[in-house]
Amino acid sequence: MRKLTQVVLLLILARPAAAHVGSPDIFFEGNAGPYRLFVTVRTPRVIPGVAGIEIRSQSAIREIRVAPLLLTGLGSENSPAPQVAERSADDPQFFACSVWLMQFGVFQLRIHAYGAQGEGQLVVPVPATVQGTLRMQNTLAFALTALMIFLSIGAVSVVGAFFRDGMLEPGADRRPVDLRRGRLAMLAAAISVVGILYLGNRWWNWDAEVTTSRIYRAPRLAANLESGEYMLLRATDPEWLQLVGRHPLIPDHGYLMHLFLVRFPEMDRFWHLHPRQIKPGVFLQGLPSMPSGLYKIFADVVHEDGFPETLLAEITLPGMQGSPLTGDDSEASARPVSRVSQISGVSELPDGGRVLWERDAAPLKPNVPGHFRFRVEGRDGKPVQDLEPYMGMAGHAEFLSWDGTVFAHVHPAGSVSMAALQIAEASLMPDMANLQPSPHRNHSLSAAALPPEVSFPYGFPRPGQYRIFVQMKRAGRIQTAVFDAQVK
Amino acid sequence: MGKKSITLPSEKIEGLSETFPGRRVEASFGPRSVPWHLWCGIGAVFSGAFGLYWDVSWHMSIGRDSFWTPAHVAMQMCGVVAGLTCGYLILSHTFGRRPAPEARDASVRIWGFRGPLGAFICTWGSLAMLTGAPFDNWWHAAYGLDVKLKSPPHSLLIGGTFIIGLGVLVMVGAAMNRASGELKQKLTWLSLLVGGLMIAIILLISLEYKFRPMMHSALFYRTVSVVVPIVLITVSQPTGRRWACSIVIAVYTGLLLADVWIFPLFPAEPKLGPVFHKIDHFVPYEFPLLLIAPAAVLDLLSIKIRGWDKRLQAAVFGSAFFLTFLLVQWPFATFLMSPGARNRVFGAGYMGYSTHPDSYYARHLFLQLEQTGAHFWIRMLEALTGAILSSGLGLIGADLMRRIRR
Repeated sequence: MRKLTQVVLLLILARPAAAHVGSPDIFFEGNAGPYRLFVTVRTPRVIPGVAGIEIRSQSAIREIRVAPLLLTGLGSENSPAPQVAERSADDPQFFACSVWLMQFGVFQLRIHAYGAQGEGQLVVPVPATVQGTLRMQNTLAFALTALMIFLSIGAVSVVGAFFRDGMLEPGADRRPVDLRRGRLAMLAAAISVVGILYLGNRWWNWDAEVTTSRIYRAPRLAANLESGEYMLLRATDPEWLQLVGRHPLIPDHGYLMHLFLVRFPEMDRFWHLHPRQIKPGVFLQGLPSMPSGLYKIFADVVHEDGFPETLLAEITLPGMQGSPLTGDDSEASARPVSRVSQISGVSELPDGGRVLWERDAAPLKPNVPGHFRFRVEGRDGKPVQDLEPYMGMAGHAEFLSWDGTVFAHVHPAGSVSMAALQIAEASLMPDMANLQPSPHRNHSLSAAALPPEVSFPYGFPRPGQYRIFVQMKRAGRIQTAVFDAQVK
Repeated sequence: MGKKSITLPSEKIEGLSETFPGRRVEASFGPRSVPWHLWCGIGAVFSGAFGLYWDVSWHMSIGRDSFWTPAHVAMQMCGVVAGLTCGYLILSHTFGRRPAPEARDASVRIWGFRGPLGAFICTWGSLAMLTGAPFDNWWHAAYGLDVKLKSPPHSLLIGGTFIIGLGVLVMVGAAMNRASGELKQKLTWLSLLVGGLMIAIILLISLEYKFRPMMHSALFYRTVSVVVPIVLITVSQPTGRRWACSIVIAVYTGLLLADVWIFPLFPAEPKLGPVFHKIDHFVPYEFPLLLIAPAAVLDLLSIKIRGWDKRLQAAVFGSAFFLTFLLVQWPFATFLMSPGARNRVFGAGYMGYSTHPDSYYARHLFLQLEQTGAHFWIRMLEALTGAILSSGLGLIGADLMRRIRR
């Protein structure tokens, strides 16, 4: 039992990860027809498990229903009976319900909203992975142990009574031979009970180990410097390579891989690069000029079934002169985290402009979904009018804890993978043809000028200090603002 | 409840004067009708057995649902009714002011409490179910894994149901052994009824080795050969009825046939995804196993080999059970895989909403669980040996059931 408890403790300490690292919940904002919805999905720790769905509407809604389907393949066509989300008694625009995710893979939650303006539908891709197990609460463990002891002693006693008294004629007294037979039966029963408990414990441990083997862990990459200017990234996990064989990677807003290089522990240098895949599981990236140091690598990819992953690696680089950045690659410098004494809501941009984090004075709390709004101002202090889509979106934000255990790559639509979202929306098309027009596909923007404010729906997974890299494109140049956050 | 003691001073029980030298023991026949607590117990076991298969159907049709589904309630009623009934019996036997003398005399004593032996067994089963419920809840939260039936908490829950069945069987058997005439006949039928329900329960515990695609694997035959004869012989032999085994299996068969034929009449829609098969009605569990054939053979043999050495009887019963079951179930399984069985009678066309279209089940194919021919025959040999051992244990159980008085 102690061994089992240790296993369970190890499991709960295992780092949960899915599309991001250490940030399993999903935050998404979109339009269900005429209704703007902010959806939070509290993903389950185990599969099958229950996902908690929280939905906030910006306008009055009569009813919300939620149905889970697989994102792709068999099981993506037939919908189960949608569940009606319960409206909050305190907040009529807040709804909640629970949805079972019954297998590993990627689900899509189809959210139907009904109101005065008719019906609207929204789809949210949700990867389902095992994140860990739960430790049994002390009170439950105590109660179950007590019941198990009671049952064990009870079983021995009942067997004893069976052989001692059960075969006596009514009214007959026990004889010594009956008592002796009863004792022998109790001894045999006690041995059997101990054997059953032993086997039961082994069974329990075995099932716990099966669950352990299914816990999702972010795949590792081996990162090496090649020819002094290239970084070679090679997947080392054979199971992951098999997975790539079955479900190849697909472009996510234009690239197979979005690679983030962050110098640790100071987090003072940041690159957002896009390596090319030279063969399945092997990527090559030409490096720009970089100072020496230890770099943590977070590499976002998406499989063709819509399953998003963040691959992890580390590399120690010497100071080097590399090629200038091109295309959508970008970089940023920031104050070392050890020198951050005061959390600031303003980040100066290299072009003289600045980005303001529009937030109230309330402290940031973990597991609270919300909008992270940023306003871009020019050198003259006025909101800029020249923001452009950066890789098809108004902005990209990377939330990274100072200790590197939490990483989330978020877009204005939320923390879901854009490629998975496109797959989900494509599967919705036949249904949407009958519904009101929706700006659902507004995640990929045209080249028209954007408003000076960009917003990201997200919630920090746990207390701690975080650095936020906010990336936008202005007048053809990628700008990265850097903020720090204290979550209590 | 109409209890009436009929004491026949002249009717000594055969052999008791030797067993209890110097003591005069009189036969006490107790009530003329079936006591209320036996009806409650039988109702509880029926509720448990039916609820289990209903729950399987619920999971195949609707998916995991709330705790308060009718199927769950039926299962839990088994523990609740049996627990309350037997708890009352024990308390009334222990603390009651006017316990009937024959009732007190026909009780056993455990930890200072008195009551029928079966009542203590039922109470144990109820407590096991009670323990299993929060354990199962935690298990799902900790490990998920609800898609399989075979887990420690499920075993505790279903095992508790089976133990309640055993407790009721012991109560019925003890009453049967004490009774005579018409009441004895009634109790004999009731013990066979309980036995049939226990067969249904124990076959559900091993459900994961009995799906249709496994019916040409040795594992399937080993599972059935181990779990069925022990219950079948324990229940049927003490009754002394000509077709006791067949009656027991008829109860099991009737229960499953009712599932196959009645459940699809009711509408159902999956609540969970992924939905691989669109369904609009309840999907039942499978057509019952053709255990009726080996049961009939056992009935015929039991007359022929009565009085033989028990070990020889076990060898004959076990071999006959295994071989007969193999001979009828193997070709019947082939039929169940054919299009001819995909109708409302045999129900082989029903698919749960989550049955993957690529699965053996959905494609009506047999699954070869044994990788080699040698592995297959070793398991078949294990099945034969298991059937013989199970029959031997059944004979021991039957002997105990014959002797149970309290």
